[in-house]
Amino acid sequence: MEQTPFLNRRETILEVRGLKKSFGPKRVLNGVNLKVGKGEVLVILGPNGCGKSTLLRCLNLLEKYQEGEVALRGEVISRGRPEGSGLSRQDRAVECAMRRHFGMVFQRFNLFPHLRVIDNVMSGPINVLRMPRDEAFEVARKALCKVGLWEKHPCDPLTLSGGQQQRVGIARALAMNPDIMLFDECTSSLDPMMTKEVFMVLRELASEGMTMLVVTHDLDFAREIGDRVVFIENGVVSAEGTPEHIFEAKPTPGVRALIEGSLYETRLSRA
Amino acid sequence: MLRAAGATLLLTAASMPLAVVFGLALAAMRISHRRMLSWPAATYIEVIRGTPLLVQLFVVYYTLPQLGNYLQTDLLPRIGVCLETNPLTWNNWAVGIFCLSANYAAYEAEILRAGLQAIDPGQREAALSLGMSERQAFFIIVLPQAFRVVVPPIINDLIAMLKDSCLVSVIGVPELLFKANGIGKARATVAQMLTVAAALYLTLSLGGYALGRLLEKRLSIRGAPELHVDQPHGH
Ligand SMILES: Nc1ncnc2c1ncn2[C@@H]1O[C@H](COP(=O)(O)OP(=O)(O)OP(=O)(O)O)[C@@H](O)[C@H]1O
Ligand SMILES: [Mg+2]
Repeated sequence: MEQTPFLNRRETILEVRGLKKSFGPKRVLNGVNLKVGKGEVLVILGPNGCGKSTLLRCLNLLEKYQEGEVALRGEVISRGRPEGSGLSRQDRAVECAMRRHFGMVFQRFNLFPHLRVIDNVMSGPINVLRMPRDEAFEVARKALCKVGLWEKHPCDPLTLSGGQQQRVGIARALAMNPDIMLFDECTSSLDPMMTKEVFMVLRELASEGMTMLVVTHDLDFAREIGDRVVFIENGVVSAEGTPEHIFEAKPTPGVRALIEGSLYETRLSRA
Repeated sequence: MLRAAGATLLLTAASMPLAVVFGLALAAMRISHRRMLSWPAATYIEVIRGTPLLVQLFVVYYTLPQLGNYLQTDLLPRIGVCLETNPLTWNNWAVGIFCLSANYAAYEAEILRAGLQAIDPGQREAALSLGMSERQAFFIIVLPQAFRVVVPPIINDLIAMLKDSCLVSVIGVPELLFKANGIGKARATVAQMLTVAAALYLTLSLGGYALGRLLEKRLSIRGAPELHVDQPHGH
């Protein structure tokens, strides 16, 4: 199948089946199905408010969803639950353990401002993996080197530029050695220069075989980094395929609106 | 007189930490989504804040020993426990510290609640996304940041408590005002003694402010937006 070239070559690492999520009466995701290959970079596009962030947050249970399930390497790691059902202590522990499969990078970085850069990156290994300090330090050093920021390790995070903060955010997630990285508009509060520097980090991660789900509004970014693109609309995946397929060969009306919107924005910003 | 000032200081030093710890528990309950927790906390906070400290002092001082008597002579023997002494014959100091901390806890709870809610929810989410438990996210990530926000108002309350602690003189705790009054009456120098007391209260308060400034400096976070005070301006 020409539409999903990557999946045919690689084993599926993540599968989302029939995921439904409502906020109160408002249905946001209405049966999302998704397969992600190991080492694949999947770009998630869609109009504002279509539920892209919500989808990522459901994957690592920052949001609970009501129906469907998520499987990692064929093993179900979370299931929808009817609203209002309580969690036992054991459920909570399982939830914490399952979040470790995912590394999350936030739009607004969410670094811990009261901890130095190195302590931000060490916070997961020390508190969650219970690593001894020197071992965690080594892990954090490697992660910071990977994003090219080792020399900033003793700094306070808020003294760094946005691009640097985001790279620390990536290092902090990498230090937990996740199976899949989730990026939620990780460059949309950055200027073009800083976007570039974060982009380089993402590309290097991709070349090392990291599986990544990337939510973005930046179509160039999507084109350059995505192995495959899914377009979410009205709570479901309405189109998917390679970037060429989605953008040039067969853009759906929704995709076309997005392309035109972004052209319009570019023109505005140039004017 | 200086000894009495020491007593005032001790009273405050013992009550304030208790108030903050109790206040933190109240604030956590108050924020909770569980009605069973938030409702009692809210009630406690409103009742305490809605009644004068002096009244609370009298209520505790006079009713608790009675409750203790009742426990000792009626209730406990009936379930087979015999006590030789009244379990709740509180001494004045204990009642003083208890009342001050129980009273201030309500105020500190509101300060802490505001402080906790001032922290970006993204902080908790980032912690959870690393695999931390809710408890870890709270104690390692959120609370230390909230602490920084609440230090100035808590220091303000500390100074207020220093002054409010004179109220416990009514139940005979020998603190600054109580002594000043006593010595003054004995030597017929009430006015002078009270002036000295006022001067001592002022000294203690100023010490409190100094402590506050020091703590604020120590706890500040480099690069945090509130601290950009020295931005160059054109003239
Ligand atoms: N906590 C919440 N409570 C109620 N509604 C919410 C909540 N979070 C999101 N929503 C709603 O869910 C819908 C999807 O939101 P979401 O943030 O996932 O969209 P998005 O695709 O990420 O949008 P954007 O492109 O603006 O980031 C929106 O309509 C939003 O109003
Ligand atoms: Mg979003």
